[in-house]
Amino acid sequence: MITVKNMRKSFGEHDVIKGITTTIEKGEIITIIGPSGTGKSTFLRALNMLDPPTDGVVEFEGKNLTDKKTDINEIRKKMGMVFQSFNLFAHMSVLDNLCVGQTKLLGIPRAEAEETARELLATVGLSEKADAYPDQLSGGQKQRVAIARCLSMKPDIMLFDEPTSALDPTMVGEVTAVIKRLAQSGMTMAIVTHEMEFARNVSTRILYMDEGGIYEEGPPDVIFVNPKREKTRAFIHRIKSYRYTITSEGFDFIEMMNNLILFCETNALSKAGAYKAQLIVEELANLMPKSEPADLTFSFPENQSLFTVTAEYGGEARDILANDEMEAIMVKSGTESVTHEYESGRNRLTVTWKPNQKI
Amino acid sequence: MKSRYISIIFTAFIMLFVTACGGNNGGADSGRLTQFRAEDWDGMKISAITGGVYDKIILDNIPGAEPVYFYSLSDGIEALKNSRIDAVIEDDAALRLHVANNPGLRMLEPFVTIDEYGVAVAKSNDELLAELNEFIAQIKSDGTYDDMLKRWLDTAEQTPMPDIPVGTGETLRFGTSGIVDGFTFYKDGTLAGFDIEFAYRFASFADKRLDISMMDHGALIIAVQSGKIDFAATLFTITEERKQAINFTDPYYIGGAALAVFEEQTDNASVAPGFLQNFKKSFERNLIQEDRWKLIADGLQASLFITIFAFVLATLGGFGVCGLRMSKNPILRAIGSFYITILRGTPIVVLLMITFYIIFAKSSISGTTVAVIAFGASGAAFVGEIIRSAILTIDKGQVEAARSMGFSKIGAFFTVTFPQSVRVAFPTYMSEFIYMFKMTSVVGYISIMDLTKAGDIIRSRTYDAFFPLITVALVYLITASVMIWLFNYINRVTDKRLRRAKK
Repeated sequence: MITVKNMRKSFGEHDVIKGITTTIEKGEIITIIGPSGTGKSTFLRALNMLDPPTDGVVEFEGKNLTDKKTDINEIRKKMGMVFQSFNLFAHMSVLDNLCVGQTKLLGIPRAEAEETARELLATVGLSEKADAYPDQLSGGQKQRVAIARCLSMKPDIMLFDEPTSALDPTMVGEVTAVIKRLAQSGMTMAIVTHEMEFARNVSTRILYMDEGGIYEEGPPDVIFVNPKREKTRAFIHRIKSYRYTITSEGFDFIEMMNNLILFCETNALSKAGAYKAQLIVEELANLMPKSEPADLTFSFPENQSLFTVTAEYGGEARDILANDEMEAIMVKSGTESVTHEYESGRNRLTVTWKPNQKI
Repeated sequence: MKSRYISIIFTAFIMLFVTACGGNNGGADSGRLTQFRAEDWDGMKISAITGGVYDKIILDNIPGAEPVYFYSLSDGIEALKNSRIDAVIEDDAALRLHVANNPGLRMLEPFVTIDEYGVAVAKSNDELLAELNEFIAQIKSDGTYDDMLKRWLDTAEQTPMPDIPVGTGETLRFGTSGIVDGFTFYKDGTLAGFDIEFAYRFASFADKRLDISMMDHGALIIAVQSGKIDFAATLFTITEERKQAINFTDPYYIGGAALAVFEEQTDNASVAPGFLQNFKKSFERNLIQEDRWKLIADGLQASLFITIFAFVLATLGGFGVCGLRMSKNPILRAIGSFYITILRGTPIVVLLMITFYIIFAKSSISGTTVAVIAFGASGAAFVGEIIRSAILTIDKGQVEAARSMGFSKIGAFFTVTFPQSVRVAFPTYMSEFIYMFKMTSVVGYISIMDLTKAGDIIRSRTYDAFFPLITVALVYLITASVMIWLFNYINRVTDKRLRRAKK
C-alpha cells in the first residue's frame, strides 16, 4: 500500500532521517518504536507529506506523493492521522468534528454524515458526547473522538503519532483499547508509540528506529524477546529497567518513588511485585551512604520471572544489609538472593526475588 | 447591564448640573458710562468667558478691573442686568448682535483693543487679491457694505440671505468656518452671515461660480496655502504671523474687544435663577431655537457614516495587511510591516490633513470621502494586527489535523482558523470600532460637519461653552453605549456555545 524509497529528511544542517526504504502492505499493523529524537514522528509525518521528505520517494496506492503534480489533498482523504495532542476543532461540537470532513471534503449530505458520525461515536463509546465541545472532554475522550473523526473519512490507512503520550496513565487504556479493536477489524495502521505492551500486542510488525533509519525490524516476539542487534537489545532492556541516581542526602524522594510506581504501572507489574520493588528501593535508598552519587536500578526480564534491584554506592567496602537492623531484615525477607561485590571503590549490592513470593 | 444605564444617567446628571450652575455676585453703577477709559474701571467687575482670551485682555488693558468668570456671554449679560457685574467684554461683532437683541445694553467706545479683519488669499494668487480689494472698495463706496453690516450685525432678527445670482464662469472655491456669529454661522440649518454674503456678492461681481466648503478655523489657512480653496473668510484677524503664510485683502472689517454696560441696572439682584430654570433656558437656547438639535442629529449622522464606511474599509484593508504580514515572501512581509509602522505611528489628525491637503490637494473629492479613506487606512493597520494576533492564538495542530484530512490550505483556514480567530478578535475589534467612532471627532479639520463640529457651531451662536459640549459628550457616550450593547448582543447570539449555556 505504501512504498518508501530512500527517504531522507533534514531540518537545516540536521539530518533526522538518513535513508529509509520499506513497504507497508494492506492489513499490516506497523508499530514504530525507538529512543526519542530518532525521527519516528518525522517518518510518519513524511508519509502523508505533512513534513515532506527532503529526498526519496513515497508511493501510496501506486501514486508518487513526492511528485508536485500529485494532488496531496485527495491522497490525504485516504490517509487518516491521529495526533499526540488530539487537535480537535475547538469551535465545533463533537458531532460537527465528525461531520465537517464528510460534508465538505467527501460531499456527503449532512443527514447521512450525521448518521455515520453517530455510529462512529457509538463504536468509540461516546454517543452521549455528540453535542459536547472538545474542552468539555477528558484527554482519553478527546483522543477517541479524534480517532472517530479520522474514521469518518473512511481512510485506507491510519497513522497514529504517539496517540497516548499526552494522556494521563489512567486514560491510556481506553485509547489503546479502541485502537486494538480497529486492528481486529483489519484496518491498516502505522503507529508511533512508547507503550511497549501495547506495541507488542497490537502489531504485526515492529520497526525499531535508531541512528536516523530502521535499525531492526521484525515480528513483535522477535524484537521484544530476542532482538538481533545490539542497540535494539539495549533499548528493550532499558525499557525493562528503572534507574534513579541519588546525588545528595536531600534527594527528591517523592520523585524517585513516583517514577518507580509509574514504571511499574506502565509495565503492568502485579500489585504484589510492584509493592515489593517499592519497599526494597525505599529501604535501600535510606541505608545507602550518599556522600558520593549512588544509583538504584530496578529491572526484570521479559517473562517477569525474577526481579532485581541493584544498589551501587561509593565509600569503603560495606554491605549495608549485613546486619540485624529492622530495615535490613525487611529487605532480606522473602528474597531469592542478596550478593555484595566491591570493585574499584564502588559497592554493588544485588537483591533478587521472585515476584510471586509472599513478603 | 442595569448598572451601566444607571452610570450613564448619573454622569449625565452631574454634567448638566455643572452646566446649569454658575453665576456671581457684585455690582456698582456703570450704566452712566458712555466712553471707555481704563482708569474708570478700578475695582469694577467684568465678565470673562471661561476658557477664552478675555481675562488676559482685561488684565493687560484694564488692570484695575476684576475678571469674573461665566460659562457663556448670555450668562454674563444676565448677570449684568441683575447688577452683579459692571460690564461684559467680547469682540465687538458679537456685542453688536447682543446689543441688537438686548434693549438697554450699550457698547462703549473706543474699543479695548483694535483688530483688523481680512479675507485670506494664497500668496501666488495676486490676481484674485487685486480683484477682491477692488470689490471691497466698491461695496464700501456704494453702500452695499453698510447694508450688509446692518443686516447681519445690527438687527435682532438676522434677516435671511438675499438671493444673489452668482456668475457663470469658472468656479471659485471659498472656505469658511461656520462658527463666527454674524459673519459665518448656521441659521436654521444653512450657512449665513456677512462672510457668506460677501462671498456670493464677490462671485457675482467676478462673474464666477461659487463652491463653499466648511473647515476648521485653523485648517482654513492651510487649505488656502495648499490650493485646496481659493479664498477664505471667517473674520480672520490680520496678524504678521499669518501674513507669512498667506496674503490678506485690505481690511473689510475693523473691530476689537469691547466693553458693554447696561443702562438701567435693576436692583433685584437676589433673583438668581434656579437650577431648573437655568437648565431649561440653556436647553432651549442651545437645542430648540433655530432647530439647533438638527445640527446635532446631522453631525451624528456624519460621524456614524464615516465610522461605518471607514471601518468596512479598515476591515477589508486589515485582511490585506494581515495577509502581507503573514506572507512567506519576505518582501511582502516587509511591505506589511512598513505599512503598519507608518500608519500606526502617525496621529490620525495628521494623517487626515496629509490625505486632504497633500494627497488629494488638487482633486475635488469630498471631505467625507477623504475621512473614510484616512480612517480606513489607519484602521487597516490596527485591524490587520488584531486579526493577525487572533490567528496566531489558534493552535497549529488543528490546522495540521484539517490538512491531514485533506483540506486545502485555504479550506483549512476558513474551516478551522478563521471562525476561531473571529471569536478571539471580536472584543478588540469592537473596541477598535468604538475608538474609531470617537476619533472621528477630528474630521472638523477637513470641512466635515460631524458631531463635534455641530457642537462648535452651536457654541459659536449661543456663546454658551458648556451646554453644547456636554450635549455632544452625552451623544457620544450614549451612541457608544448602544454600539457596545449591540456588539455584545451580536456576540451572544452568534456564539452557539454561549447560547447553549444560557438554556
